[in-house]
Amino acid sequence: MAGLKKRLLFIGILSMFLMGTSSEAQAQNPQSAAPEINRFVSPGAGADAMIGSASRDSDQATPTPRNFLASRRPQQAGLIQGQVTEEGTGRPLTGIQVRVMDTNLGSLTNDQGRYRITGVPAGDLSLRAEGLGYRTVTREVTLQSGQTLEVDFELPISAIQMDEVVAVAYGQRTRREIGSSISTVGAGSISETPLARLDGAIQGKASGVQITQNAGDPGAGMSIRIRGSSSVSASNQPLWVIDGVPMFDEDFSQLGMGGQDLSGITGISPDDIESISILKDAAATAMYGSRGSNGVVMVRTKRGQVGAPRFTVNTSLGVQDVPNRLDLLNSTEYLQYFNESATNDGYREDYYGTPGVDDAINTDWQDALFRNAPIRTLELSVSGGQDRVTYRLSGSYFDQSGVVMGSGYDRFNARANVDVNASDRLSLQASLGFSWETTDRLEGDWSLTGVVPMTVAAQPIFPVRLDDGSFQGLGSGFPPDGLNYPNGVAMATYNWAETLTRRAIGNVEARFQVAQPLNLTARAGFDILAVRDNQWEDPRVDGIYAKAAEGIAKTGFSTGDRFVLDGYLTYEPDIGSQDLTITAGGTAEFTDRELSFVRGEGFSNLYFNRARNAANLIVADATERSNNLVGIFSRVDYSLRDRYFFTGNFRADGSSRFGPNNRWGYFPGASFVWLVSEEDFFPNSNTVEDLRLRVNYGITGNQAIGDYPYQGLFGTANYGSDPGLAPSNLGNADLKWERTKEFNLGVDASFLEGRLGLEADYYLKKTDDLLLSRPLTGTSGFTSVFANVGGIENRGFEFRVNSVNIRPRTSSGLRWTSDFNISFNKNEVVSLFNDEPFNAGRRNVNRVEVGEPLGAFHMIRFLGVDPETGNALLSEDREIVGSPHPDFTGGLTNSFQWKGFDLTTFLQFSYGAEIFNAMRLFADAGGWYLDNQFKHVMDRWQEPGDQTNVPRASFNGDSGARELSSRFIEDGSYLRIQEVRLGYELPQRLATAMGASSVRLYVAGQNLHTFTDYMGYSPDVNSDGSSANIGLGTDFYAYPIPRAITFGVRGSW
Amino acid sequence: MKIGRFFALFLLIGALSACEDELLDLEPVDQLTDEIAISDARGVEAALTGAYQALQSSSYYGGSFLFFNDLSADNAIHTGTYHSHAEAARNQLRPENSAVASIWNAIYEGINRANHLILRVPDISDLSASEKSRILAEARFLRALHYHNLVRLWGDVPMRTAPIASPEEASTIERVPMEEVYTQILSDLEAARSSLAGGGDTRRATLGAAHALAARVHLYREEWAQAETAAEAVEELGYDLAADYATLFPATGGDTPEDIFRVLFTVVQWNQLGWYYIASSFGGRGEIAPQQSLMDAYAEGDVRRDWTIHGNVEGAAHGTKFPTTAGAEHPHVIRFAEVILTKAEALAQQDRLDEAVTAYNRIRTRAGLAPHVLNQDVTSQQDVLEAIWHERRVELALEGDRFSDLRRTGRAVDVLDIPAFQALFPIPRAEMDVAPNMTQNPGY
Repeated sequence: MAGLKKRLLFIGILSMFLMGTSSEAQAQNPQSAAPEINRFVSPGAGADAMIGSASRDSDQATPTPRNFLASRRPQQAGLIQGQVTEEGTGRPLTGIQVRVMDTNLGSLTNDQGRYRITGVPAGDLSLRAEGLGYRTVTREVTLQSGQTLEVDFELPISAIQMDEVVAVAYGQRTRREIGSSISTVGAGSISETPLARLDGAIQGKASGVQITQNAGDPGAGMSIRIRGSSSVSASNQPLWVIDGVPMFDEDFSQLGMGGQDLSGITGISPDDIESISILKDAAATAMYGSRGSNGVVMVRTKRGQVGAPRFTVNTSLGVQDVPNRLDLLNSTEYLQYFNESATNDGYREDYYGTPGVDDAINTDWQDALFRNAPIRTLELSVSGGQDRVTYRLSGSYFDQSGVVMGSGYDRFNARANVDVNASDRLSLQASLGFSWETTDRLEGDWSLTGVVPMTVAAQPIFPVRLDDGSFQGLGSGFPPDGLNYPNGVAMATYNWAETLTRRAIGNVEARFQVAQPLNLTARAGFDILAVRDNQWEDPRVDGIYAKAAEGIAKTGFSTGDRFVLDGYLTYEPDIGSQDLTITAGGTAEFTDRELSFVRGEGFSNLYFNRARNAANLIVADATERSNNLVGIFSRVDYSLRDRYFFTGNFRADGSSRFGPNNRWGYFPGASFVWLVSEEDFFPNSNTVEDLRLRVNYGITGNQAIGDYPYQGLFGTANYGSDPGLAPSNLGNADLKWERTKEFNLGVDASFLEGRLGLEADYYLKKTDDLLLSRPLTGTSGFTSVFANVGGIENRGFEFRVNSVNIRPRTSSGLRWTSDFNISFNKNEVVSLFNDEPFNAGRRNVNRVEVGEPLGAFHMIRFLGVDPETGNALLSEDREIVGSPHPDFTGGLTNSFQWKGFDLTTFLQFSYGAEIFNAMRLFADAGGWYLDNQFKHVMDRWQEPGDQTNVPRASFNGDSGARELSSRFIEDGSYLRIQEVRLGYELPQRLATAMGASSVRLYVAGQNLHTFTDYMGYSPDVNSDGSSANIGLGTDFYAYPIPRAITFGVRGSW
Repeated sequence: MKIGRFFALFLLIGALSACEDELLDLEPVDQLTDEIAISDARGVEAALTGAYQALQSSSYYGGSFLFFNDLSADNAIHTGTYHSHAEAARNQLRPENSAVASIWNAIYEGINRANHLILRVPDISDLSASEKSRILAEARFLRALHYHNLVRLWGDVPMRTAPIASPEEASTIERVPMEEVYTQILSDLEAARSSLAGGGDTRRATLGAAHALAARVHLYREEWAQAETAAEAVEELGYDLAADYATLFPATGGDTPEDIFRVLFTVVQWNQLGWYYIASSFGGRGEIAPQQSLMDAYAEGDVRRDWTIHGNVEGAAHGTKFPTTAGAEHPHVIRFAEVILTKAEALAQQDRLDEAVTAYNRIRTRAGLAPHVLNQDVTSQQDVLEAIWHERRVELALEGDRFSDLRRTGRAVDVLDIPAFQALFPIPRAEMDVAPNMTQNPGY
């Protein structure tokens, strides 16, 4: 297998090389290519030219030779220059792209808003200026040979960007032409946010994208649902594509840390990101066929521009803390409550201790575990380029200590993006990123020995440390004379786990013009991960297995190699007022994972913590697994009179994960856009300016399950030293693609001279042939089997409104813009195997039942507290008592600018989701466990006649308080002040005096406050981690999400 | 040069399409497909080894199957944090109990492994007839053990005697009367008894193990004469009580003449027994502890007490039959002491009290207790039975016998003070959900 892959890679690279040499040969042929050579050697020619045009045949905004007339007549060239300013205020605009239409010539404006384009062919020209936040302006000019033409632009502020270039699969389009629903998040909203993970960058920023931070551990994964959950057993996470390479998104660590996975969506510095496009509907994602059903997130990294080297530095330093503590009993209340539980059930009233004596110690365990933790960032980059080569090189360091003792994350990044115009017809680009991440981890949520659970549970009547400085240990007897569980602070102090992730992700791409309308793109991409885990569990911690084992050390190595070869042709014939682009190609993807792991127990000295020094090697494991994917795809884009846009696409995918019966899946998509406002009958008013209707339909697939699910398999089952075999997987030869059919209807409009923009979408997404790990009666010898059964439906509305609320009158006047999005999704299971419902998730509370949302909470209903007995009134049978899916989610960003100041506020909200607060199983259990209790037990029933919803304390557990019931279901709605950022741009004079072209200071706050009724740390929680599909919405002592305040400086010169 | 370019492109596309099968036919490197796993003698031996490995499950002899038989009875209390175990200790098991479901699944997994062998072995060409019959006998012994463990806890249970061929086949299963299951058990045991040899590795099925299990099964069926015969067949093979009770429960393996069938564990193939029974102050998990009533059951001078229980304060006492948390003990599935008690009971039930007392006195004497004298220490048949049952409790305490034994002898309701229905475990909720014909035990 490895040999075959190498062969294919070799062939791929050879192909590119052949393309390169053949074009070089052509370029060196004096007869055929002399003018092209002249064009590139003529002094000064193109010094500012060859700026990336909005070409549609690449994922990247890179130079594409589109029209060679320009370069073939260098002797007739002239020069165009000028300034771009903001309309009404005259403020110079930086970073605006000015292009000569129908050529590949263009330039970006500098800090003074100036641009300069040389080597422009003489004649009647169309000149266009465009940039984010502004309406595109086109001017017609006539250039004489040898002339220098001064052309200035005044751009009106606009809330919407119809001409924004958006990355789509195997190409890019302007927003105007796209019939699909695609959200974009620009660099501006990411680059100054301290982020360990890429997925954090889009939370609340894009409609239709619901993101749950599973927990607050630095580097922990997030649950992303684009237009709802559409799968039960296969992944619901979107496909992430970085510069055209589908990246690994899974957790490669082999340490089971109890609940929280490590995000795979890391390894990229936020400052390197140019833009993120989220392809939401099936028509757009069908081009990624088999992996499109959960949406596709396409990330483009920043690239260099022609010009003198430009250095930027961004550094920030901040501090984090835990924004809110759980409200727990103090020692007096604790003792009183537990004694009352004894009294209520007929035991001594001082069963648990004497008030005033045994509650003399009052420990706030959360205080002992949580800390203020620093966070810092340093990002450096240099970009520039000349003539044929542009580059952007960057390096960054990010360091986040955890707010829980012993946790943390840091990351080093290096990235090199280089574009080479090897000849007039061949361009090459390399995008290479390297990262080195270290995550210091803790036993987490779902673990008996989790640090946070143990700390929350600890009885407040015992100290963290004894007088001699040693940690308080477990007690014996009943009630115990010490802690009931291991000491969480001792665990955080002595135990450690570190995961080191080394990653290289990138690609090399060649684009070649075969003939005037025909381009060939070939790409070899890779994502290579090497993950090393080390964990030590210390025998000094009382009550954990490591004590009995005299220390446990684990080391795991895990590598992931993914290679992607793409090749496609783009054909763009010139057919008058119509516009036609045909794209067709193929792709092959090889994914390999190798693992090794050792676990050793028994150490002679605490100095040791590696398996080599262990007395017993308990686990010594090594294996490998792989999967391959082959696809062919094609797309036709056709537009008529710039107002009717049609796209049809088709992809066929073959996957090694399915058997020969159903190996290939077919994924078509089609979309149509009608630019109504271009029609003659459309009134030419300033009230409604642009109006665009979109409709599309597509079919996508999902294959994100294990690597060999269709085969009946036997695995190792050794007995003593005899090697044995036993059935490990029940085969299903007919297993096939999970299929999602999606219909989308959208409208985009802009009003009031572009000051108000609206995007609205309705979608209906039906998934059938669910890849379901369906439960099987255990009598078969298996408890589940993968099968295609059942269906899920998601439907919803999404809205995005952005507006320019205050338009400045002068360049330093006040401006205020808003960006609001809200999404409504309704999720429903529509069919199942025999329509038999089943339960999954922790404690089996999440229901999969026809007619209900996926993972709806299914438990005994709590009906109140009997005023006579104080006992909980509970329903006989389990029923649906809530849903972990929100009714709607969204975000609101407000940006203000005034003189050199800018202020951005970002609110994020979620409404209607319920949370199973599983902490209360122990921390609101009526005194059945010795755990400290939530303070709301102070409202408990105490004597007949008490009207309350908190059952009485009960030693025997008879009050029903400890029953798993809907009493533990809480409203998870919240509104969060996720970010407030205040920035100040130093006056130009001052910056110049400092030797810089611009200097900016900022202060930012993250996760400042959450408005919620939820009792736990944060309603933004999912203790089952990002791979959970059914077991959603459960909080089991999740690591709190930190609040951070950072100060930063950004400068460039 | 254009040719060169197109050549490159075709090379690329051609390479991809030509390799399709090679690219997409992937098999795991660490598992074998069904077709080749059990296709020759080597595979059969490996699958047989795998069938024994099923016993190691932490829900079976590596843990909860044993725990629950003592927790649900009056031998052990729950001192840990697991809901599932707390329910067992309070005899409040619910169909949702995850540990009960895991025990059920673990036993059926063992049955499936045995069934694979029983199905495939006859067709294996490189095995001699005698090897085939030996392997089939071991597989059928294991299947009989599994099914008997099922009926002990659940009564009527579904029965599979062949692996399922497709997922669709699974869900039509239903429970069959216990009598039918017993017919299968006895037929499997008959096959095992006629083909297995005496002696041999006590971590694998032997003739002695088959006779001993047959004695147990007949005891449960109150077929006294057959129980007696089977027990005697065991005796005739030369088993004897270990001189010292302590030697039965060493931290790792260790053989005694009393061993009949044990499950092998190593520090790698770890069992939970010590970890769960040893108090946290001694480095264990302390999930389960011996009950006061068990401590009180030991007479003064009974050496077994100290080998079963450490300490004497309720809550602080812990089990010591599984002496370390390293999990490498080899728990007994069936040992000669039980066979003697079975024989004694079979004799007593046949009103041969003198012989019965003689039989169980071997157990008492080994424990350092004075032998009973008929008509002095015990008089009536009931006395003798009570004495045998008592010996059974203290001799086999924390070895996973008590709860089933109380139900067998019809004493569960009185001794444990529970409603009658709780003498059987509930059918797991998940089974009820996925197999429409499955019925629940009454009361749950």
